[in-house]
Amino acid sequence: MYYVAQVIRDECTKYNCKQCTLFCTEPNTLMYTDEGHHAYVITERCKGCALCVYVCSTLLKRDSIEMVYAENRDVAGVR
Amino acid sequence: MSLKIFKINEALKEFVPSEIVDLEEKATWGNPKRGIWDLPYAKELVEEHSLCAGCPESLAFRYILASLPNPEDTIIINSTGCTSLVFPHIALHTVHSLFGNQNAIASGIKRTLEWRFPDKVKDVVVLAGDGATVDIGLECTLHSFFRQERITTICFDNEVYANTGGQESGLTVKGQIFKMAPKGKQWDKVPMWQLAIDSGCHYVARLTVSSPKRVEKVIKQAIYVAREVGPTYVHLYTPCILEIGLNSDDALEEMRGRDKERFKFFEYISEKAKEVIERKKQEGLI
Repeated sequence: MYYVAQVIRDECTKYNCKQCTLFCTEPNTLMYTDEGHHAYVITERCKGCALCVYVCSTLLKRDSIEMVYAENRDVAGVR
Repeated sequence: MSLKIFKINEALKEFVPSEIVDLEEKATWGNPKRGIWDLPYAKELVEEHSLCAGCPESLAFRYILASLPNPEDTIIINSTGCTSLVFPHIALHTVHSLFGNQNAIASGIKRTLEWRFPDKVKDVVVLAGDGATVDIGLECTLHSFFRQERITTICFDNEVYANTGGQESGLTVKGQIFKMAPKGKQWDKVPMWQLAIDSGCHYVARLTVSSPKRVEKVIKQAIYVAREVGPTYVHLYTPCILEIGLNSDDALEEMRGRDKERFKFFEYISEKAKEVIERKKQEGLI
């Protein structure tokens, strides 16, 4: 059992910063969709380091990403 | 090499893994203006790797590979260390020879490519850790600078031999205690960026990877200067969060702290390098 990141769509669409996608340490794991105006996580690739949560919540105070149990995740990487 | 090596035979495409198909269809080849703002959308040139969760070294890899202006004609020379866990997973030509001889190998490859393909631009980039660059490979590194080889050397400085259990390296700071350096290091950190300047590098930068845009700018400048003028050296702080006892989400905070201290951004640009950088800025490539 381990944690993965999941984007909170309603919060993320308020911004257009994409900073989490830059600071994710895994390649092609945190991506951004211009159509939906939000980031999303490819959860199979996520190692659960929570650096994205540090960027989004601690640095930017936007609280748009959360860590969830892998088995409870939304497979789209966004809820 | 050419872009054709990344083309998949149409008859075999249905059998090829989707990540490889994405490399052909969604990666940013042939665009010298590529950069870190491709990361949220494009296929990256590095795949899933075995570095630890939250390792800043993998951040550095993402930024460097996104910033290479000419990835289809770039050869990466690497060495032993944590970084060597990543090279099997990047979509460029890489050469891994002996521990520490990476700059000698790079020199030979660069000279051969210039002779074999005189009408083409081929970038040779060395990516190695602090052990390979400053301890075991210091001789090869400095002599490539003395010889004015036109290569870019990038050092991932995590200030420790991390994947062998935590021995001190030449770049460990004085007094630092590790599992296999229990008394603390007795000597000062080697000022490798200063050695690079004194040895003839035309562009030298020292920074952390806490600012993706800054890393992109530095990497592009270093590669353009190396193409036309001579050796360039980039010193990146990529702390080993495990060996200094941090959590997986602490890396950025650690680097932001060091941004104000011993890894405060430092850049040296020679007169010849300034001309190249100014020209590339006017062309919109930096």
